[in-house]
Amino acid sequence: MYSKTIIYKNEMNQKTMRFLDRYVKRVKGNPPGVCPIAVQLSFLQSARSQTCGKCVPCRDGLAQAEIMMRKIVDGKADMKTLKDLTELCHMIEDTADCAIGYEAARIVLESVELFKDEYLSHINEHRCQPEVGQKIPCVSYCPAHVDIPNYIALIGEHRYADAINCIRLDNPFPTACAFICEHPCEEKCRRDLLDSPINIRGLKKFAVDQIAADQVKVPECNVTTGKKVAVIGGGPSGLTAAYYLSLMGHKVVIFEKKEKLGGMLRYGIPNYRLPKDRLDQDINAILSTGNIEVRYNVSIPEDVSFEEIDKEYEAAYISIGAQKGRTVDVPGSKADGVYSAVEMLDSIGHGNIPDYTGKRVVVVGGGNVAMDASRSAIRCNADEVTVIYRRRQVDMTALPSEIQGAIEEGVELLTLNAPVGVEADDDNKVTGLIMQPQIVAAYKAGRPSVAAADEGVKVHPCDIVLMAVGQEIYSEPFADYDVNPRRKTFEILPTARLKTHEKYFAGGDCVFGPSTVIQAVGAGKVAAINIDEYLGYHHKILGSIDYPAPKENDRTHIGRVHLTDRSARERKKNFEPVENGMSYAEAMQECNKCLRCDHYGCGVVEGGRV
Amino acid sequence: MKVNVTIDGNLINIEDTCTILEAAQNLDINIPTLCYLKEVNEIGACKMCVVEVEGRDHLVTSCNTLVKDGMVVNTRTERVIKSRKQVLNLLLANHDIRCFSCAKSGSCQLQDLSNEYDIVESVYEGTEANIPPKIENPFLTYYPELCINCQRCVNTCHKVAGNGVLHNAKLGTRTLIDAPFGPDWKETECESCGNCAEACPTGALVAKNKKNYQPGRVSKVLTTCPHCATGCQYYLVVRDNVIVDVEPAKGPSNKGMLCVKGRFGSFNFVHSPERLKHPLIKDRESGEFRQATWDEALDLIAERFLGIKKEYGPDALAGFACSRSTNEDIYMLQKMVRCAFGTNNVDNCARVCHSASVHGLAMTLGSGAMTNPIGDITSDVDVIMLVGSNPEEAHPVVGMQIRQAVSRGTRLIVVDPRDIGLSKQADVHLKLKPGTNVAFANGMMNVIINEGLADEEFIRTRTEGYEELKKIVMEYTPEKVAEICHIDPDHLREAALMYAKAAKAPIIYCLGVTEHSTGTEGVMSMSNLAMLVGKLGRSGCGVNPLRGQNNVQGACDMGAMPGQFPGYQKITDEAVMEKFEKAWGVTLSKKPGIFATDVFAAAIKKEIRGLFIFGEDPIVTDADQNHVRKALESLDFLVVDDLFMTETAELADVVLPGISYAEKEGTFTNTERRVQRVRKAVTLEGEMRADTDIFTDLMNRMGYNQPMLSSEDIMDEIASLTPSFAGISHRRLDRTKDGLQWPCTGRDHPGTPIMHVGKFTRGLGWFYPAEYVPSKELPDADYPFILMTGRILYHYNTRAMTGRTPGLMEREGHSFIEINTEDAARLGIKNDEKIRVSSRRGSIVTRARVGEKVSVSETWMPFHFPDGNANILTNAALDKFARIPEYKVCAVKIEKIDEQIFEDYVN
Repeated sequence: MYSKTIIYKNEMNQKTMRFLDRYVKRVKGNPPGVCPIAVQLSFLQSARSQTCGKCVPCRDGLAQAEIMMRKIVDGKADMKTLKDLTELCHMIEDTADCAIGYEAARIVLESVELFKDEYLSHINEHRCQPEVGQKIPCVSYCPAHVDIPNYIALIGEHRYADAINCIRLDNPFPTACAFICEHPCEEKCRRDLLDSPINIRGLKKFAVDQIAADQVKVPECNVTTGKKVAVIGGGPSGLTAAYYLSLMGHKVVIFEKKEKLGGMLRYGIPNYRLPKDRLDQDINAILSTGNIEVRYNVSIPEDVSFEEIDKEYEAAYISIGAQKGRTVDVPGSKADGVYSAVEMLDSIGHGNIPDYTGKRVVVVGGGNVAMDASRSAIRCNADEVTVIYRRRQVDMTALPSEIQGAIEEGVELLTLNAPVGVEADDDNKVTGLIMQPQIVAAYKAGRPSVAAADEGVKVHPCDIVLMAVGQEIYSEPFADYDVNPRRKTFEILPTARLKTHEKYFAGGDCVFGPSTVIQAVGAGKVAAINIDEYLGYHHKILGSIDYPAPKENDRTHIGRVHLTDRSARERKKNFEPVENGMSYAEAMQECNKCLRCDHYGCGVVEGGRV
Repeated sequence: MKVNVTIDGNLINIEDTCTILEAAQNLDINIPTLCYLKEVNEIGACKMCVVEVEGRDHLVTSCNTLVKDGMVVNTRTERVIKSRKQVLNLLLANHDIRCFSCAKSGSCQLQDLSNEYDIVESVYEGTEANIPPKIENPFLTYYPELCINCQRCVNTCHKVAGNGVLHNAKLGTRTLIDAPFGPDWKETECESCGNCAEACPTGALVAKNKKNYQPGRVSKVLTTCPHCATGCQYYLVVRDNVIVDVEPAKGPSNKGMLCVKGRFGSFNFVHSPERLKHPLIKDRESGEFRQATWDEALDLIAERFLGIKKEYGPDALAGFACSRSTNEDIYMLQKMVRCAFGTNNVDNCARVCHSASVHGLAMTLGSGAMTNPIGDITSDVDVIMLVGSNPEEAHPVVGMQIRQAVSRGTRLIVVDPRDIGLSKQADVHLKLKPGTNVAFANGMMNVIINEGLADEEFIRTRTEGYEELKKIVMEYTPEKVAEICHIDPDHLREAALMYAKAAKAPIIYCLGVTEHSTGTEGVMSMSNLAMLVGKLGRSGCGVNPLRGQNNVQGACDMGAMPGQFPGYQKITDEAVMEKFEKAWGVTLSKKPGIFATDVFAAAIKKEIRGLFIFGEDPIVTDADQNHVRKALESLDFLVVDDLFMTETAELADVVLPGISYAEKEGTFTNTERRVQRVRKAVTLEGEMRADTDIFTDLMNRMGYNQPMLSSEDIMDEIASLTPSFAGISHRRLDRTKDGLQWPCTGRDHPGTPIMHVGKFTRGLGWFYPAEYVPSKELPDADYPFILMTGRILYHYNTRAMTGRTPGLMEREGHSFIEINTEDAARLGIKNDEKIRVSSRRGSIVTRARVGEKVSVSETWMPFHFPDGNANILTNAALDKFARIPEYKVCAVKIEKIDEQIFEDYVN
């Protein structure tokens, strides 16, 4: 039948959609530590609300599943309930007509499998597993567990130096993180239940822009313990470990292979993202504790052997990073003009800026390194820069803001093209990249896979190919030190100690594989605490900051302040920093939005836990 | 900054660090609270304390909202009242309201508020899951259906007790309190201190004792705990002349906290059926005791003591005072010995615990007592140096305050041969070989001097003897000391720098320093250290011995010492002697008496023939039990005045039934020199008599004319003769909140919290040059292990009191010995296995506790348990000054045995 009226009848649906926007926000803002089965119960309730009421399995089955799930949540169920629930869900999945029914049942069944331990805990122990329990979202999502609510409050009181020292109680890289932290802290910011997460990184940047980190005195070290710890690799993780170990009173010697400290922060991240002079502010502050000696241009074990380290140091922290760029082993990959992006960035980090004038550059990859390489290539005056990626743009692992920045600066993305070879001329000079077009296909391991499209290879003409397809560690010299031969990373215990070498600890990219600076910082801090413990101490990391009393929640919905960039036309001409800071008014507005989950939420129970 | 706030129309000018609730309290405006506990739980969870603040859209929680200038607050508007009623309705929906069966009925805050807000039952349906209660702990229970999830217990455990064993658990969307009182309660780290139960506003987390009475039908008597010398203040809760419970008071040293012994183990013994009820006389022929009348018993004692005195002279008699008893009792006991016996052979059990402190600190500083109050050295200090002290077990409420300090950022140095609980929180732990304290202290001073950290000005103006000391300690290089002490020289250097550089750092020490053949020198080494860096006579510093028994400080203060009258007035001082002779109307012996620990040898040699023991059980507590037994059996006549038939009393000729702290008036002096009241709570059936009355009667029968005095009168006499007590009286103590810390030299004198300010009692502080001397008995091929002894949390000394609380015995009821894992593996000994431990003096069978708490070749035993009494093994090697025995070091061997031998031994 055709409708014979033009009068719009979907008003109710429109309203429902508006409500659902808020509902989705609520679901997205689910705080860390919530019982997963309670979440599944709420999922079932919401699935049931969608039933049209035609078919028995969905209409009546989901209702019964919900009753059983509630019993499990409340600790009143036994194994039979769980069995009944799964049997019922199998039936719903088998027989429901539409996705409202069968997909709901399938998700429940997958979840029962995924959270089996939690189900058993509810049934047998009548309680959740011990790790269930809410935590302060920002603090717990920060790998270094920085006391974010308090430093925001300090910024709000214009106490920028105290804010920097508050950050430094857990993270000695306030400046570097102000520029390039991926801010996992913002992911679950409770403010998102109202409007949107606080711009925490932006506030940190505001703080370090008011007073340079090396102008803020670090806390006084404990008296000297007489113990010596070697740190192998002076990147963010090694420097973090060194900082805390030195505050605890230990003498630290950092062995740095290169001529300057900072690791990937200096030699991987381009200056336009993290200016070197600003990085130096953090490093100066770290070295100002006084217990740290740095030996530059020293490689382990070539220049100092493991035997010497064993003899002279009570413990060692391996933080060598993952500095070796991977390449794709395709025909022609040895041609003249094929480089690893990491090497290219490293060379720029050393001040050797290549001249790409008149060159066509291709960057292979979709991560942050690919963006760094392509945007750097633009700044090296390349004629054209193309990022070639075998998946779609949405599948890129690079931060969306980096992709956006690259596009603005004239980088072209050529997605759904897999590199299969490099074309070279008779002099073995690169002339083009051979690509196999791809088609997006079924999900594998939670994300859409790609497959070769039913069409022939294409050649993208170019003079330079930069491979940004991952990094690994220079593992050979450490082969005997618990390096996993397949993953090429160190295998450690939860305390960061190597599995078979007592006095050696490891952390950062050389354990996780290439990751974020804040991960490396978190690992360095944990390692410092455990090294201290391993040496038989329980030194405290002290800082005496008088924190302001929490303010009342401001419940007004206020938009999030985003940081802006300099004009693309201008910024792409050089390596000067691209991002603008917050204004004073913007910073105060963001500070005022903090809901103080440490005070108004679960942060005040059990003596104030993270 | 002060601000103006209007609450319900009343204007108040108040500091802006105050909350609205505090401001209201200042105005006597009552705002109801449930989850609020000042400084512990200000989490604004229950929302009972909401108020309206003009200009704010929402109701605010008054408990954690600070006042602001110009704030206008209304606490009882319709909106507020409605909201509070909703809160109560919501809480009651999930609260079992069968109040009849609840232990807190009548003292439940939820009940009170429901009554106040006129709510009989909730308008809502309950949503709580049915979760079983936790009831296996003998003292504490948790009933989830009564829990309002206010978090007071959890935050009390974390922030007050500082133990952190109470956690929140989740069940779906519900929060549960994960109380460790279930079947596995003994395996948890819970100390059963019960501070959580005290914090609970309902009957959810509650002490089992509360079930025994209704709050309206009891009386409460404020008194002082009779266990350790922390001096916790509490109320004995009395129903029909029976003590049924203990409730903490906010005393100056306990701040409302109590430990498991104080809360649960301090009254069962009072009503024990094993209490002595009649005087007993032993038939010498049969060896059996028979009931006697007081006249019979006292006449016999007078006759026999007078006989000995006549035949062998007064110095053949001696008396031991009871360090658990009141100052007034002890004063009269020493008066009896001095005036009626006619000798100075009087002593108390400080001889075997802190006599080294009394002598050592008197020699170097002029006063043998803790220099600073507990609160002063556990709040706002930079470093705490804990030497030979395990306060979490021996002085638990001090331990709690140290844990609090550490969690606030105070650095902690632990110097102890064992991995005590606090070593897990220590910045640095010096795990010394037992008996090497002097070397350790000299090493510390060596570093301090060499680093130029000595306080030259302090040394120059306030001390003497520095050069001699310096000469000696210069030889104690960190490397040399490390070898003696079996420690890392770096640890020593770090500890020295940490202590010396800290602005405020107290030394807190205990029996690990004193109970050595060089105990007095160990103590003097502590004062040397503190003087070297000028950390004496100021807040947050000092040399602080944690005294053992509740009134061992008082026993020394009251002159139960062979060379000193009350207040440490020397008998050799002629003016003093004249004063006492005049006051007591008798010619006194000028000859210093002998120390308690020397009495045993003297008894064997027949130099001492008659002994009056008041409330001590040296057979159990003194080193080398066989030697003590032989000594007591050698006596011509032994009198024991006690509460129970102790092992020592078994040997007596006459046993007299005294009364406990709960049955008498008086005072105890805690470790901080704080004199606090002890008050009578009950009168029990039986012929037991006040100990002062017993002494008075005996004095009169022995020919010294002593009028009967009340406890209050006795304190007046003490004050009249003792300058440091001159301002102390029961009347004044009853008026003050915090007791009085001696010296208190006059009625207007406020007492002395911190000693040696500006000037030492001695005048100039004396650096005593002590050399390290090894312990008397060191391990050898035959006896290869060092044995240390000590206390555990759940018991006090002979367990005369704690052993009569079944729950404490259930928690720890048997003797054990700690052995290092490595040694155990070598000897093939498993954890909890029964083993034989022998020294040159005796042999016992006990259970092995295998672990890392003690170092290799070292062992440790508690001395509380008769099934393997550590004091059969210990060595009575005595310190040259204080004559304290070396409980902390003797040599033993360990052997595996088969089960049958153990069974036979126990049975």
